[in-house]
Amino acid sequence: MRTHLALIVLAALSLPAGAGAADKGLTVNSVRHASYAAFTRIVFEVEAAAPYVLIRSSDGRSLTVSSYTGPFVLKTPLPQVRDSVVLGLESRAEARRSVVVILLDGAAGEVKDFVLRGPDRIVIDIAKGTAPAPATTLDKPTVIVLDPGHGGKDTGIVTPRGQEKTLTLDLALAIRNLLQKDPHLKVVLTRDRDKALTLDERAAASNAAGARLFVSIHSATDAGLRVFIQDLLDEPGAQPTRPASGDFLGYEAGSEQQELLWGKQQAAHARESGALGRKLARQFSGQDGAEPVQAPLALLKAVDAAAVMIEAGVDKDGEPAAGAIALGIERYVKEN
Amino acid sequence: MQSDRLLLGVVIILTTLVASGGIMLWMRMPSTDTAPQPAREEQQPAHQQSLLDEPLLITLYYPHEGMLAEGSATVQRQPDTQSLARASLAALFADQRAAPEPVLRDIRLRELYLDNSGTAYIDLMPGAQKDVRASAREEQLAIYAMVNTLLQNFEEIKQVVLLLDGREAQTLAGHMDLSRTFTKRMDLVK
Repeated sequence: MRTHLALIVLAALSLPAGAGAADKGLTVNSVRHASYAAFTRIVFEVEAAAPYVLIRSSDGRSLTVSSYTGPFVLKTPLPQVRDSVVLGLESRAEARRSVVVILLDGAAGEVKDFVLRGPDRIVIDIAKGTAPAPATTLDKPTVIVLDPGHGGKDTGIVTPRGQEKTLTLDLALAIRNLLQKDPHLKVVLTRDRDKALTLDERAAASNAAGARLFVSIHSATDAGLRVFIQDLLDEPGAQPTRPASGDFLGYEAGSEQQELLWGKQQAAHARESGALGRKLARQFSGQDGAEPVQAPLALLKAVDAAAVMIEAGVDKDGEPAAGAIALGIERYVKEN
Repeated sequence: MQSDRLLLGVVIILTTLVASGGIMLWMRMPSTDTAPQPAREEQQPAHQQSLLDEPLLITLYYPHEGMLAEGSATVQRQPDTQSLARASLAALFADQRAAPEPVLRDIRLRELYLDNSGTAYIDLMPGAQKDVRASAREEQLAIYAMVNTLLQNFEEIKQVVLLLDGREAQTLAGHMDLSRTFTKRMDLVK
């Protein structure tokens, strides 16, 4: 087969299970798929994460998934997939190695892949080539929503520096002051005073503002800055963006369809949230390999934007912490 | 005369062989005596009881310095997995390394149920302090201390659902989503 390596992704995973499992190859327990408005998602649930290879053919009409070292074992039949992006999945033997080939339609666009944990999954998102580009233009500012955690009767934790609700508000205001110097950024706060908000109200405020980035700010009793992103269940039903009418998906759903969709918005932003989380984690730690922490966050799942939660430790206060967070946000916006 | 002696010898040998074979066969036949054997039956429950009395060593996971640490504890053996899982979680809450940690110190184990699909339902309730105050990381580690302890010790348990006062709850301390099922996260263990 005359195939050129148009795209090679070698994911050298740093999971504890992955290190030892590398030589054993990849054992795939199940393969799932979901069709969304803007992309199709193929999920390989593996016994233990290990490096894999993803190759796109020169004509762009197929993707080949295989193990980097060791065998690629399929313990499950491949599902029937046929939509406007993916024409089917096939198990093949190429050069004495087992691979899975994803046959693509001509409308298939950009391919993104990433890894989720617990259980370990390789997720491949194939965008529709005709999907509209993000509506970010120079004359329309990028909306960034900052969410100071807790508030009102919910004081959060008490640290040596004070109550969490106060610390998060102070930090959010300091970040806003820094970001507002850039005319291309519009900063919205979910609260700018001591006020109680539910998690759904915070997510709804972000969606209503048309946020491209959402940063929830919290405090910790230990040191350092920790970045969380949503640990997504790759369940079907995730819906990507607000409707073309400009309406946002409110949590006080007006229709049965909206009720079903609330809480699934973040699934469509896994890649962007991962990139934002990685940018901030590396900005804070100064280490190229730093990764955000995946966690099941009740707040972020309903946010229709690239979203992270930051936990600022007892040693992170005032201008230095605000400066580091603002710089990470600015760099992400410029590069994405 | 000589041939008669030879014949007699062969007959004696054959008779001996047949007789000894018969005796051996009789000895190997199962006994048809169906009378109860009280001595043996009395010993079996005593043996089982001694097994139940033996403590069982389990693996515990507890928050420690921003990660989960692995330790061991002993629990009383129980007649079924659900009871043993409940005892294991109770051991976690009572453990000196886990009990003082945020979230774990503020909640109590109300009940644990295990269904046929392998889902364990951990029903929690607030302690004396009604509000559970913890950072997102502390809440995450407390949840996975419970989840990892169950899933690492019991292969029958495939996933965990967390309840508060017998009902579904949004979070324990304001951060982690309890509306989902949990599976173990060994990447949180140092």
